[in-house]
Amino acid sequence: MRLHALAGRKILFAVTLLLAVFAYPHSSPAQMETVCLQCHEPQPGKGGAPVKKWRESIHAENGISCHDCHGGDPKDSANAMSPARGFLGVPKESAIPAFCGRCHVGISEDYLKSAHGRALGKGGPSCVTCHDAHATKKVTLDIINEKLCSRCHSYDRAAEIKEAMRQTETLITGIDRSLQEYKGQGVDTDAREKGLFALRNRYHRLFHEVDTAKVKHESSQIQAELQKIQQSLDKVNEQRHRRKIAGLFVIGASLLAALLVHLLRKTV
Amino acid sequence: MMIMKRISEWFEVRLGYKELAEKHLTGYLLPRNINAWYSLGSVLLVIFGIQVLTGILLLIYYVPDADKAFRSVTAIMNDVPYGWLIRMCHAVGSNMMVAVLLLHMLSTLFMGSYKSPRELNWLTGFILFNLVLGISLSGYLLPWSQLSFWATTVATNSAGAIPIIGDYLMQFLRGGKLVGPPTLGRFFAAHVALLPLAIAGLIGAHLFLLERIGVSAPPFGLKETKNSWQGDQFRHEDHPGGIPFFPDYLLQDATSIMIYLAVFFSVVFFSPNIFFPVTAFMPADPFRTPAHIKPEWYFLANYQTLKIFPSELLGLMVQGAVMTFLALLPFIDRGKERHPLKRPIFLACFVGGIIIYLGMTIWGHYS
Repeated sequence: MRLHALAGRKILFAVTLLLAVFAYPHSSPAQMETVCLQCHEPQPGKGGAPVKKWRESIHAENGISCHDCHGGDPKDSANAMSPARGFLGVPKESAIPAFCGRCHVGISEDYLKSAHGRALGKGGPSCVTCHDAHATKKVTLDIINEKLCSRCHSYDRAAEIKEAMRQTETLITGIDRSLQEYKGQGVDTDAREKGLFALRNRYHRLFHEVDTAKVKHESSQIQAELQKIQQSLDKVNEQRHRRKIAGLFVIGASLLAALLVHLLRKTV
Repeated sequence: MMIMKRISEWFEVRLGYKELAEKHLTGYLLPRNINAWYSLGSVLLVIFGIQVLTGILLLIYYVPDADKAFRSVTAIMNDVPYGWLIRMCHAVGSNMMVAVLLLHMLSTLFMGSYKSPRELNWLTGFILFNLVLGISLSGYLLPWSQLSFWATTVATNSAGAIPIIGDYLMQFLRGGKLVGPPTLGRFFAAHVALLPLAIAGLIGAHLFLLERIGVSAPPFGLKETKNSWQGDQFRHEDHPGGIPFFPDYLLQDATSIMIYLAVFFSVVFFSPNIFFPVTAFMPADPFRTPAHIKPEWYFLANYQTLKIFPSELLGLMVQGAVMTFLALLPFIDRGKERHPLKRPIFLACFVGGIIIYLGMTIWGHYS
């Protein structure tokens, strides 16, 4: 009986130990999250809403969390929102471009130079007007759309800008695809890739430009440069075509020689 | 014409080349039932010649330095006139050499040509096959691409599974604990000097044995298909009433070589990339392991064998046992019969072996 009781206690101890080990908070991705997320996420309404939006954003995808923008201490819940720990809180509308521009330096410059940037504080849009503060997505040309633009002005000029940029983007995407394909076949694409990289950057710097004439002019210049890369790729393609024709002759000559030698053998 | 005749006479009285030609070409008789499979040896000689020639041309521009190798190969492919053709011929040729060598060995097996007194022919051929695999493997690293780097890492890793000497052997091959610049130096030396010399020497030995012992007659279309070798003394196997090597069989050789060249150039010009995945054109990066590292097609069966056994050592032992059995086959198989249809056990093993090899290769490719 005592032996049974002893064994029972041992089993109970082992089970408790196992439970303790498994119940102990291990470092899993969820628990590695900042105290900002831990406090705000369960909050209803305004407190928790940004977290839900952020989770779907390009920032979350790239590991950019609350404290990266808003400052503070993401590990200390008591002092997380202490200014002494660098907490910035929510910026005023006029401070938003500088707030985002700490990371997006070039874009911020482009925006401030544009008509949108110059109208900041006078009814003009800030970064979050178009991109949202927390549900920020990877930008595509679709962000220029009638619904969004018509909130402030007519869509006509925006549509012209979008069309000019769409042509550039189509060219960039096509050339990029061709470059990757050729690269995978041993074609030296280094110089062309660097050229495309520079042109893509020039194209990206047009994203916040709202001067239609300037966008059209710059787009046509970029497109002309892109055409040069495309022409060099066309030459590669043409060269490959010529190689295949030469190949056909070589293969044909080999087969003909095989036939002739075979016939010669029959006559010997 | 008179001048040509006088030059010919000048050489004849000094070298007696007419007698030499009579003995080795026009008077050298081959069995009447000889078939096209016998010309694969000549095809292999041509392939080896192309490999040597294109290899020498590549050496002019290739830089065997880990920092410059990939760039130099890219320059060969893009900047050197006809560099792409030379490199493609060399790379496709190495694959074709393995494929034709396999066919040559299979035909020798099927026709029982490895049997006495041709044990040494088989053995030199078998060693040649292994050396060709070695030269292909060592050449694989030279472009210093992602594919080269990681395939060599996997291949040299297998050596580490050998008990006692495994670690030493792996470090000896790599020139260090990991694949790096010293590995490139070693593989380069082996690829351009050591292995070509060894292969050339063994080809010489193989041809000498062929000439000395005589060509075996295929077991097809004959009443008597048993091996007639008596083993009491050396006899050159003559074929009285046979067909002369020149011009008859040399024309068959030429036909096979031309057909081979047509196939070879079809791959070179139309689908060279069947042997080049995308990683073959990315510079080696020791810090970025590609998602699927696979060896060349001729090592896929070995690769899959290592995977299906519970330990790598067991896989290596099985492969070692199979290779040893194949190498010593003429000493193990002492039967007189040569016709495959009269050797059901042999035929079952032959067909089964091919099916297993192909099955493992396909499995390795898709695994």
